Amino acid sequence: MRKFLTVALAVLFVFMAFGATKKITVWTSEAQVPILKKLADQYKAKYGVQVDIVQVNFGDIKSKFLTAAPAGEGPDIIVGAHDWTGELVVNGLLEPINLPEKDKYFPAPLQGFTYNGKLYGIPYAFDGEALIYNKDYVSTPPKTFDELIALAKKIEKDYGGEVRGFTYDFKNFYNSSFALFAYGGYIFGTDKSGKINVKDVGLANAGSIQGMKFLKNLVDQKLLQSGDNYNTMDGLFKDGLAAMILNGPWAVPGYKQAGINFDVAPIPTLPGDKDPRPFFGAQGFMVNAKSKNKLFAMDFLTKFIATKDVMYQIWQSDPRCPSRKDVNELVMAKDPLTKKFADFLGNYGIPMPNVPEMAAVWGAMGDTLAKVLDQGVAPEKALADAVAQIKAQIK
Amino acid sequence: MKFLKLLGWILLAVFTVFSVLGGIFLLSKGFYELSITLFVLIFLIDFFIMNRKTYPYRYMIPALILLFILVLYPIAFTIRTAFTNYGTGHIMTRQEVVERLLVDPIYTYNVEDGKTYSYNVYVKYNGTQPTTDFKVIVYDGDESYVANDYKVLKSEAGELILGESELVRLNESELRFERENDRIEIVREGNDLFKYFYSPEDSSTAINEDFFKYSILFPTLSKVEFVDTLSNRYSIRQDEEGKFTFSQIRHMYKLGLAETVENGKSVVKTVIINTMTNKPLIEENGTIYDTSENGERYAVAGYISNYGVKNFTKIFTDPAISGPFTKIFIWNFIWAALSVLFTFVIGMILALVLNDPNLHGKTIYRSLLIIPWAIPAFISVLVWKNGFFNETYGIINKFIISQLFGGTPVKWMNDPFWAKVAVLTVNTWLGFPYMMVVTLGALQSIPQDYYEAASIDGASKWQRFWKITFPLLMTTVAPLLVGSFAFNFNNFGNIYLLTGGGPAMPNTNTPAGSTDILISYTYKLAFEGGRGQDFGFASAISIIIFFIVGGLSFINFRLSGSFEEVNR
Repeated sequence: MRKFLTVALAVLFVFMAFGATKKITVWTSEAQVPILKKLADQYKAKYGVQVDIVQVNFGDIKSKFLTAAPAGEGPDIIVGAHDWTGELVVNGLLEPINLPEKDKYFPAPLQGFTYNGKLYGIPYAFDGEALIYNKDYVSTPPKTFDELIALAKKIEKDYGGEVRGFTYDFKNFYNSSFALFAYGGYIFGTDKSGKINVKDVGLANAGSIQGMKFLKNLVDQKLLQSGDNYNTMDGLFKDGLAAMILNGPWAVPGYKQAGINFDVAPIPTLPGDKDPRPFFGAQGFMVNAKSKNKLFAMDFLTKFIATKDVMYQIWQSDPRCPSRKDVNELVMAKDPLTKKFADFLGNYGIPMPNVPEMAAVWGAMGDTLAKVLDQGVAPEKALADAVAQIKAQIK
Repeated sequence: MKFLKLLGWILLAVFTVFSVLGGIFLLSKGFYELSITLFVLIFLIDFFIMNRKTYPYRYMIPALILLFILVLYPIAFTIRTAFTNYGTGHIMTRQEVVERLLVDPIYTYNVEDGKTYSYNVYVKYNGTQPTTDFKVIVYDGDESYVANDYKVLKSEAGELILGESELVRLNESELRFERENDRIEIVREGNDLFKYFYSPEDSSTAINEDFFKYSILFPTLSKVEFVDTLSNRYSIRQDEEGKFTFSQIRHMYKLGLAETVENGKSVVKTVIINTMTNKPLIEENGTIYDTSENGERYAVAGYISNYGVKNFTKIFTDPAISGPFTKIFIWNFIWAALSVLFTFVIGMILALVLNDPNLHGKTIYRSLLIIPWAIPAFISVLVWKNGFFNETYGIINKFIISQLFGGTPVKWMNDPFWAKVAVLTVNTWLGFPYMMVVTLGALQSIPQDYYEAASIDGASKWQRFWKITFPLLMTTVAPLLVGSFAFNFNNFGNIYLLTGGGPAMPNTNTPAGSTDILISYTYKLAFEGGRGQDFGFASAISIIIFFIVGGLSFINFRLSGSFEEVNR
């Protein structure tokens, strides 16, 4: 009996060893599934290594990965956002990646996936917000915010208040940060070696205060109203009742479907001739540090995914700004809207900091925007409170 | 019949064997509490089934198992977590983290001016098919070494994690080599024969590269470290250009002894030492720090460590947490009490109306009134938020207040008072149908004779309600009111979806908002602040909330006398 058991166990182990080494698993959200499945088939036919593509909701990938990976049950590769990098790295769950042809990528998305000087993800796309305007109301997009304010007021007057001249989800820090950064505000400073220093919070400096005052002016001029949020903006624009909004490439298919005659332009320059500096996010592939098939995963990513052809195919099924320059050029000719987003964000965009300490920033700054813009608290005071709150939480 | 009985015994035996195997598996993975509980459960199950006297208890088994899975284990886990720093940066055990620092290839580095060798790979053939049995010979000019079969240093679930192999001079090896044109073509070991298969420098073997990579290098060879007679370590690693080279490596961290000062005494302890700087790593609160060359400390890794009662003391001593605690607690109490009061009063009034024998179309009214209860709360809360309370476009502000009455719009989300009104309104709307249904049922059980007797005695409607209906109603409904209070005390969903706890309290350094209740404030502190997730702290604070809710419910039960009937 004992002998039988030993043999059975041995056989079992052999099967486990054999079955496990030759298979890698990828967790990805809906849009990339078909194309990745196709690539997985090609990879298997060529190298005999099976790649399982598992569809997981985008919002669940990080939390599920955080649960499964430490127990050794995570996938080998996840497809996710660059601002997860810091949290996953400090948890010891991401493997640094040696990416070939680094110079073919825009530096900013690569920067987004870099933590403490090491690259942890292969970016395939990036996106952020620009000015989207309805061509029925706006013939040439405004170059400066003064022009935008005048134009928006004229539109609201012409249509008796039925049409909003300018609206966006302004109490969300993601959307309003462009103004603070334009005047020299920043979230976390960097030290000499380029590492992010979370002790240095620049959200209450002169630039941030000036940016906040600029936003306050938009509210005081009644351009932005306290009930504005993403849903109202999106709904109004789809109904043709908003002339200018701030939104990203993810909303473009919806506006096309709604039959809106629209175009994309850079966010106008702010008073004092300051360029807006909006946030952007990058999406990419990351490798599980606890995977037992790291070399297979790396091989699959560097040999198959990080190529011009494949990146182009991924763009076709998930149209956002490609993070490879050569793919970008290919895409530009076919999709002028994406080009406009990419040109603007590529030049002016700032990647959201990928450090885990950002968790404390979002809530504090959302509250601050509401305090200043709705509740009439002085910008200096509200921002100083926010910085104190962030520092108290980070320690 | 006998057959069935036998089948039953066999099933029990199979079940026991599998459960015991499962318990051993859990034990080996380090889940001691779970495995011990499993063994106790298996014993109880077997005992109850085999012993005639304990016959009735076998029907308790399912309840016992569910009680354990759904109640006891989570409670035990929460209590245990509350005393640790489990959270972002601390999600693995110390053993796992240290092992990774010592073993993982990313914590190795190529030695500058270290030796590199060329390597040839020899493979045993099965007929014409290459197998994954291989030999490696490395050479540099005239020096040649053969790598012995590797020893497994670390494996997991039958998979190699780290292997070690000795490099032996060819003439000292027991293997036999057959040369052809200055190159070893065949390696013989006993009766086995290994043929020359692959060398990265020999383009004529490029055809074999894929097999080498995917069947030998990636699964096995890349995980083996080679040691020469001078104890230098080598490994096959990918260089900058993507080529796999055989080069000298060194582990960044090793275990060693170091003298440290503890409580004024110097102690020699096992510590992890950085081999580049020769400085020991420092461990503090579950974080491992390394020291850079200019003396700066930086975190290398973190693990789950025992945190003592720090999570608990933090709640009361850290002003960034305890500052608004009283305010939030008072509002939390008011919120739960008013929610119960409003839902009950409205539900009861509607129930009394529906119970009136003169009312026609009862079923229709009743069905309509239950709708708020039937719609998933998270949908109706969002409808309230966007459709009713939006400050610009909401129906209340836009049509009722501005157009109908010409008033100034109410700042539903930005004024602390009106935000509280908004959350209470929505909670009342969601909660009254439940109270109505409960009251309707309780009303049915009040005997009609009491009312007849009362009307003969000349009691007014008002008197009949206060003297008969209400007291008899309370005997059945009071415990439910206490339950409803406890439920609303922790009604996270409505607050979070409607206001997110906002508007923010002025003049504090905390993320507290005016409509935050304890549980939503906890959520902000533990999951939306600091570095993302802090399960240890969240567990500590939920234990405190448990005692608060438990205490309040106990007092409520006492005051309302709900259990007296039962006790008598």
